[in-house]
Amino acid sequence: MKHTLSRRALCISTAILSLAVTVPGLSSIALAADGTIKLGLVAPMSGPNARYGAFSMRGAELAVKEINDAGGIDGLQIELYSADSQGTPVEGVSATRRLIDEDEVDYVIGDVSSSVTLAMQPVAEDAGVLLLNAASSNPKITYAAGVGGFKWTYRNYPTDENRAFVVAKYAAEQRGFTKFAVLSVDSDYGRSAIEFTKKYLPEFKGEILTEDYYKEGEVDFRSVLAKIRDSGAQAIIMYGLADTTPIIARQMVELGLAGKVTLVGNGEFNTEKTIKSAPTALEGAVEAAAWLPAWDSPESKAFVEKFTTTYDEAPNNHAYVHWDTVHLLAQAIHEAGGNDREKVREALSKIKYKSPVGEVTFDDHNQARLPMILLQIESGKPSIKGAYTAEIEYPAQ
Amino acid sequence: MFSTIIEQIVNGIVTGSVYAIVAVGMTMIFGVLRAINFAHGEYYMLGTFGAWFAVDYLGLSYEASIIVGLLSTIVVAYVVGRLVMQRMVGAPAEAGVLATLGIALVLQNTVILVFGGGYKFFSGGYIEPLSVLGFSLAGQRILILVVCLLVFIGLELMVTYSRMGKSMRAVSQNVECCEVVGIDVPKVVLHTFILGAALAALSGVLTAPVNVSVYGGMGELITFKTLPIIIMGGLGNVRGTFFAAMILGIAESLVATYVGLQFRDTVGFATLILMLMWRPYGLFSTQARF
Repeated sequence: MKHTLSRRALCISTAILSLAVTVPGLSSIALAADGTIKLGLVAPMSGPNARYGAFSMRGAELAVKEINDAGGIDGLQIELYSADSQGTPVEGVSATRRLIDEDEVDYVIGDVSSSVTLAMQPVAEDAGVLLLNAASSNPKITYAAGVGGFKWTYRNYPTDENRAFVVAKYAAEQRGFTKFAVLSVDSDYGRSAIEFTKKYLPEFKGEILTEDYYKEGEVDFRSVLAKIRDSGAQAIIMYGLADTTPIIARQMVELGLAGKVTLVGNGEFNTEKTIKSAPTALEGAVEAAAWLPAWDSPESKAFVEKFTTTYDEAPNNHAYVHWDTVHLLAQAIHEAGGNDREKVREALSKIKYKSPVGEVTFDDHNQARLPMILLQIESGKPSIKGAYTAEIEYPAQ
Repeated sequence: MFSTIIEQIVNGIVTGSVYAIVAVGMTMIFGVLRAINFAHGEYYMLGTFGAWFAVDYLGLSYEASIIVGLLSTIVVAYVVGRLVMQRMVGAPAEAGVLATLGIALVLQNTVILVFGGGYKFFSGGYIEPLSVLGFSLAGQRILILVVCLLVFIGLELMVTYSRMGKSMRAVSQNVECCEVVGIDVPKVVLHTFILGAALAALSGVLTAPVNVSVYGGMGELITFKTLPIIIMGGLGNVRGTFFAAMILGIAESLVATYVGLQFRDTVGFATLILMLMWRPYGLFSTQARF
């Protein structure tokens, strides 16, 4: 008897749930009534990227606490739900489904890894739930968003394309480089950054003389560095792994490239540890980052201090972008005049949000126009050279 | 153009020296045990970690850290040799594969558990560049070259003249006969194993200053680079290993320069396939020894 009852209850609840999901307006009205906003966070809480997930969670938590302590968004408190993507697309999809179906969240922030975010996009689209990405850099995500297809995907993070453009522009215009060698990691990240560099480099009269990609774990760069030396390149465009940078830098010293050829790109050129490994090779190196703790703005400094006192650890880039994205969402909900998904989405498209790195607006691909922070190593210390924004040239539809 | 080729050949010889020191240990272990030691790269890693620990935690000089790296690896190799490798004598080949793969996982993960999975930074060694014959090389690389030559001269002398060396050759030829004439096979196995592991550690300690990054998984790639070398050299063949390592080092260097860095690892694996197809007994033997 009990068995049949529970089965009937299940049928009815499923019917109501599916009705609620298929009619987005209905569900948001129903959820708004209880006075909370349900926000889901998908991040790698376990697996090899667990560190990034932990930072993301803490950044989001801190922002939620700040907003709730200040009285919520027009009186509505935010409730944060988290789900583990383990850094894999399969787990990311089921985590997203869990948040949407079981926790009934209205907004999802996630994931760090681009391949997970790409897999989450159709899930959020089908459910009509806002997917606000805060940390994935693959350009494809917003190529396929907004007028490109997925209406519910937004990204508040600069892409590899932004990065490549900004670095190429700075290297050419500020440093006067025209002859480049490529030495990047052989991965989607390393190769796509070079692909976009090639898209923009002709604008700055730059040419690529040699092009090489290294495998993860490679330790011997003497041959390729000798080739680069003989090619006459002025700079090496490197989108590489943080742990390989010191190896390359040291071998640059060994082959007499230090001080003659400059590293430009991304790969933790600016950490104390890397600079110490080969100060002469890294002098003058140019790197682009979405954010860094040394960024000089009062809001950013206040965040670093608050995060450090709360968690006993300095924040990284992932903590910052998730903290910032929760605040961005809160402003969108406020501007929408309440917890209505459709209106929040429209508010987001029109938003002018003042972030610690500059004003954020979204283009017609739902991609935030965000600056990249450029820094240059001077006398063994990273020195911030300013924030540069790049308008993406989307391929024709 | 010509000087570029010469420079790349010099680079290849330096890379080959690193491979040679690791590979010769593996080939000797194969000789006495008929088992590929899949954990061989882990001893390379252990040596490096020992030296890194000595420099970073104990504040010792690089020279002293070489000793610490070697000794700590010898201790581990003794334990593994006693508990595992000695039991491999006469065991089927699958047992050796499983046991050494297992040891590789245990060693790797123990190091990760103790020291964390992140990359460590090795400071120390002679990294200042010197100019030799017009080429710029770190002093450390010249040290590696010299040590490699000394190791091979030493090994040649040992297997030719010393009692232990002769026993090693005997065990690699016929285990049953050795037992009949009173050679202590388990002891020879243990000694060969410790020697091989210590050589891998030596290679690790010597390359750490130029490779800079130290991490738990660093041994894996070394194991896989070593496989084609010992097969090219002829399994169990010390002299063959030396020349095979140099050939692979130079070939990799030329491919990295003229084809592309991303194809570098392809050289080793392509060699492995070609060797297994045409000369599975090695470049320097006319027939299979095993």
